[in-house]
Amino acid sequence: MIEEQVRHFITENFLFGEEKKVADTDSFLENGIIDSTGVLEVVSFVEDTFNIKVKDEEMIPENLDSISNLANFIKRKQNGSN
Amino acid sequence: MLIDNFLKNSASKYPDKTAIIHGNTRMTYSELLAISLNLAAALQGYGLRRGDRIIIALNNSAEYLIAYFGVQLAGGIVVAVNPDIKPRGLHKITADCKPSGIITNTGLIKLLEADKEKYPFSFILLHGESKTDGADNIPIYSFNECCKHEGSVDTVDRAETDIASIIYTSGTTGEPKGVMLMHKNLMANAHSIVNYLSLSEKDSVMVVLPFYYSYGNSLLLTHIMQGGTLVVDNRFMYPNVVLESMVREKVTGFAGVPSTFAILLNRSNLKSCPLPSLRYITQAGGPMPHVMANEILKAVPHAKLYIMYGQTEASARLSYLPPDDLYRKHGSVGKAIPGVTLHVLNEKNEQVKPGETGEIVAEGKNIMAGYWGKTEESAKILRNGRLYTGDMATVDEEGYIYILSRKSDMIKSGAHRIAPREIEEVILEHPNVFEAAVVGMEDAILGEAIHAYVVLKDGCICTEKELMRWCHENLPTYKIPKSFHFAESLPKTESGKIKKHELKKNYSPIEVSI
Repeated sequence: MIEEQVRHFITENFLFGEEKKVADTDSFLENGIIDSTGVLEVVSFVEDTFNIKVKDEEMIPENLDSISNLANFIKRKQNGSN
Repeated sequence: MLIDNFLKNSASKYPDKTAIIHGNTRMTYSELLAISLNLAAALQGYGLRRGDRIIIALNNSAEYLIAYFGVQLAGGIVVAVNPDIKPRGLHKITADCKPSGIITNTGLIKLLEADKEKYPFSFILLHGESKTDGADNIPIYSFNECCKHEGSVDTVDRAETDIASIIYTSGTTGEPKGVMLMHKNLMANAHSIVNYLSLSEKDSVMVVLPFYYSYGNSLLLTHIMQGGTLVVDNRFMYPNVVLESMVREKVTGFAGVPSTFAILLNRSNLKSCPLPSLRYITQAGGPMPHVMANEILKAVPHAKLYIMYGQTEASARLSYLPPDDLYRKHGSVGKAIPGVTLHVLNEKNEQVKPGETGEIVAEGKNIMAGYWGKTEESAKILRNGRLYTGDMATVDEEGYIYILSRKSDMIKSGAHRIAPREIEEVILEHPNVFEAAVVGMEDAILGEAIHAYVVLKDGCICTEKELMRWCHENLPTYKIPKSFHFAESLPKTESGKIKKHELKKNYSPIEVSI
């Protein structure tokens, strides 16, 4: 469910609905999907949609740089383990 | 002197010193020179002759440096472009300067193949793997193989008035203009910057700005000239990762545009990250709010902050505000850099009095030769050996310059200068659009963000998403409007010109705290 929401957001906002496939583990950075201001939009989406606060030190590729990284990060935050 | 001599001199003085660090790649000056010479020999073997243009479409990397100096050493002219360029933009540039080759990566090669007949290339140099033999008989060679090519470089009889680089900027008409920079222009500007920043071989700079723009290009040249180190990190979207690199590599310098600093202050650990080696910070590319400058200095109090101003047409730099004057002369871009004379002239071409407004006009060895193939446009801004910048400013009693506005309506978004006209043309090509106007709105992160106002044709329906997708197909990401506002009509003057200032006035930007 979370993966789907994340995928929908990325596709609609950065790929503009293009059919281009993004694998769950594709790096946003390496594939040029998101730039430095795009990351701020992703963070706003995560904070607004899932009602969690992303700390500055959490803005790292391990948490944000792919659909699966993002989804896992959101799940960890929701479980309070991050 | 030629700019490739910067590399030769540093390789001679500091052969084992690191010239560039990028990820796990560390390349010394002697390695960089040897590989660049290999590439130069290979390029000459593919037919490159003095003055031939070669497009470099690569991200910041050791390969970019090799390509840059390889082309120079072979006697060619570097035309560096954003590797994310779209067909529309690449067609315009290739039609204008007719490059004989392109050095790029696997991402762009697909685009070249889709539109083969439109490109004038004699060869393609590909960095990375290719599954193809060529684009419609244009041979593709391996960049990596060329770097190992052990031929000798033919001596090319060159002068410092030869063009070394063409940097494309968005003209106000939306047509790209190729700024021709001679070796002597780039050399003069590099010398001047080295002088006022006191750069030496002990310096290393964190490079997050692209080398294909003039600010990034000046970081490249000044550090190679002095035997310093370029620390490249293309992951600025994760600013903490870049801060970690800065700590690890003990960088002494950092360069950014206002949006770079807005991101660092809003979304990084800058305020709690000790950067003891950082000696200086430079900022250019648009006005930086005073509060932002204060916050930066609060976070890194031991570093000196240089506010700078320049134009691509001036090889990069025209003025700087000495760090000691930052509080005393808040809002000023300082005075001319060494070797440059700046005037602020009124319409009668007279120096304005303090407090009056005029245009900034520059003289110096750093001023470009002109725009490639555009004699008339060049003559409009290069008059009597002076560059008429189009930037309106005032001066104070001590001669410090304060920029008030630009003559044109160019949008400065992040590190980019964008012509609204180019975006408007793309939107107008959509079959449902009747009229469009694009303006830059104040944005706390980007400086200015792009917003579009659109009037649809009678009876037509079109969504914001549809127009975004349309722009995405035809424009690089940084030129896609942040939002589309649909209107029944656009405000116009009696002569029918769209009143963009009214569109801007009726918009309230979202505030972001710093």
